Amino acid sequence: MSAHTTTTADVHGHVDTDHIHGHEHHHEPTWLETYVFSTDHKTIAKQFLITGMFWGIVGGLLSVLFRLQLGWPNDTFPFLESFLGKWAEGGKISNEFYLAMVTMHGTILVFFVLTGGLSGTFANLLIPYQIGARDMASGFINMLSYWFFFAASVVLFISFFLQTGPASGGWTAYPPLNGLRDISINKGSGLGFDMWALAMTFFIVSSLLGGLNYVATILNLRTKGMSMMKLPLTIWAFMFTAILGILSFPALLAGVALLEFDRLLGTSFYLNMIVVNGHLLDYRGGSPILYQHLFWFLGHPEVYIIILPAMGIVSEVLSVHSRKPIFGYRAMVVSIMAIVVISFLVWAHHMFVTGLNPNLAAVFVLFTLLIAVPSAIKVFNWIGTIWKGSVRLSVPMMFAIGFVSMFISGGLTGLMLGNSPIDIQLHDTYFVVAHFHIVMGVAAFFGMFAGVYHWFPRFYGRFMNDTLGYIHFYVTLIGGYAIFFPMHFMTGLPRRYYTFANFETFNNFNFLTQFISIAAIVVFIAQLIFVVNFFYSIFNGRKVDVERTEDGHTYGNPWEGTTLEWTAPIERIHGNWAGEIPAVHRWPYDYSVNDKPYISQNTPLAPGEVEHT
Amino acid sequence: MNRTIAMKSGEDGYMQELKGTTEYTGVHPQKFALWLGMASMTMFFAALTSALILKKGDFKSWENFRLPSIFMASTAVIIGVSIAMHAALISYRRARFSAFRWLFTLGFVLAVAFLLMQWLGFRALAAMGFPLTGNIAGQFVYLMAIVHGAHIVIALLVTGIVLILAIRARRDPLYELKDVINPKRKLHMELLVTFWHYIDIVWIYLYLFLYFNYR
Repeated sequence: MSAHTTTTADVHGHVDTDHIHGHEHHHEPTWLETYVFSTDHKTIAKQFLITGMFWGIVGGLLSVLFRLQLGWPNDTFPFLESFLGKWAEGGKISNEFYLAMVTMHGTILVFFVLTGGLSGTFANLLIPYQIGARDMASGFINMLSYWFFFAASVVLFISFFLQTGPASGGWTAYPPLNGLRDISINKGSGLGFDMWALAMTFFIVSSLLGGLNYVATILNLRTKGMSMMKLPLTIWAFMFTAILGILSFPALLAGVALLEFDRLLGTSFYLNMIVVNGHLLDYRGGSPILYQHLFWFLGHPEVYIIILPAMGIVSEVLSVHSRKPIFGYRAMVVSIMAIVVISFLVWAHHMFVTGLNPNLAAVFVLFTLLIAVPSAIKVFNWIGTIWKGSVRLSVPMMFAIGFVSMFISGGLTGLMLGNSPIDIQLHDTYFVVAHFHIVMGVAAFFGMFAGVYHWFPRFYGRFMNDTLGYIHFYVTLIGGYAIFFPMHFMTGLPRRYYTFANFETFNNFNFLTQFISIAAIVVFIAQLIFVVNFFYSIFNGRKVDVERTEDGHTYGNPWEGTTLEWTAPIERIHGNWAGEIPAVHRWPYDYSVNDKPYISQNTPLAPGEVEHT
Repeated sequence: MNRTIAMKSGEDGYMQELKGTTEYTGVHPQKFALWLGMASMTMFFAALTSALILKKGDFKSWENFRLPSIFMASTAVIIGVSIAMHAALISYRRARFSAFRWLFTLGFVLAVAFLLMQWLGFRALAAMGFPLTGNIAGQFVYLMAIVHGAHIVIALLVTGIVLILAIRARRDPLYELKDVINPKRKLHMELLVTFWHYIDIVWIYLYLFLYFNYR
């Protein structure tokens, strides 16, 4: 590409003032460059979304399978044998595969769906569009980010087909169980775990490359007039999510590196005086608690890496569909910052039962409870935003409201679990499962769905089907509560157990367990409706109303939004805007002001109008 | 068909446009991204060194020892890498290509020598009674040197590619000149040398950290 050594205008002896790189010098991208190894943020966003959807189905299917085992521990399901082979001999899922499924469900949902699929999709789609940039700071690194994610996906998926099965020592991968490469203890601790570690390494690289790009793009490539305080809240959320990832993922990488040193090179960072089958192993001096520190130094910020983008999306969707400015923009921004800072100081609340010094635990309790403050501010502002708005109960709006509901329900139990005396009682029980699934699992999914339904027209120029969308919403909302609400009453029941049939004490939970399993199956089917709707609507969805301008481009603003992504042509061209990038004159939430339903960010202030600050 | 296609990101024309139409901060976005990457790598090494502090605090049979002196020599060599790379960059900017190629090659060779010396350091450690699977104090030295070495290997790969391109370009002075006035190439050189400085400083930090913790 030596033609870019100087400006193209100089090399070719003519000056195209509007567009320094005139079209005639552009090399037409091949099919491979357009759809596979694309450096265009819009294509990469789709790649992340569709890969994320694939993993969502896999991860959801795993949960259906282990819910079958939990709901009907004494029954057999012969069809499972033809499907899973030796992992379900006689139609009964083996305990080894049960643990593998639980492990992979966690890994897939936390990292591959709700981090890669959520952040990867919407940060890629919205950052250049909403800040007014042609593309990311480095399209190439952005492409690498996706392909590392893809490589991680391939490695993780292949591990399902190993003879010893995928990793099965829990998504947190604690040593010593995962620190020994000994399949006689645990089949999943063999090659399956090494592939898990490799997949996670690729995933972390992907996440870091993506994150660097997001932050560099937001800070350096904003269009004229787009000061930081004119950024939509989505962008604030993506930026702080990326910063969190940049600073916390390395700790997990270090943790996993040490783990693989122990497993492959025989060091003993995490292992000490281990007895296996009556033999004392040679490992001396390690501490499994060290791993927990490294893991949770990422692990806790990770839950904010998942929830912050959802919060950003929800803030935007609530404001657009309430036809009202977001309530407390500055408070929202400051809350995001506060959450990011405090999230680095709470990791040991996952470790209250490790023998942590109670005085130290008190510090972590304090910071954990402090996070409730910015979280509550955000909830208050969301409710303030829809309060007395001209609410349009469209599908994305329903999901955004559902997000707020879920976030409140799950957040309340967070306050309980944040206290070490309570947590020590409830640790590793279904109460914890209920808490984190509602607050960061279902809630994050609601944010993601709100985003997909809302920006689907931006992706494909069409709407998703409303009827299917409402069915998807109601089944998921009611079903989500049906699955996780009863778990609050299963406080004594330990997590991760293969069966409770041997414990008479737990017999009184049999009904609830079956009820939850049925709800889980129904909710899973509802997600398939979403997938069908998604792919059907790409080709057959109702088209967005568009206006064709003189230059042959079509423009549409299906939700009457103010942000810049709706000022770009609907047909998605490379470089996003046909002519110059629009300059920005006002904040992104001018809804129902000056007797107008909405005013786009690129509309100059009217004479005498005072800028919103 | 006057469909105007915007420029590829990160390239010169892009920056030209940025200065006119964006809230341009004056830092090239890719340079900024490298800084963020270095912040991230710093967190990685911080995690490792804090793991050492934790272990040292709670493990009774931690054995202190003097680091093999070869590590001091390798530290001197890696400072040499930084100096050579920086001098190479200055020559590049001044279009002194012959000097650039020699200095760049020197930096490359010194970096390879650094890796070999780290390997010798491992052998010296093992000879002192601290094999890889020995006392946990020794294990940390291997750990730090290996994960740091992995960063050096990546830097060497990129440097190797640039070196081959530079040696090939030798036959065409005009082409070389175009390289220098090509802001994209210059930027990439600057990014590469910045990364070398960073990874060299990381080793100096690790060496001092180990030295003072093992006294």
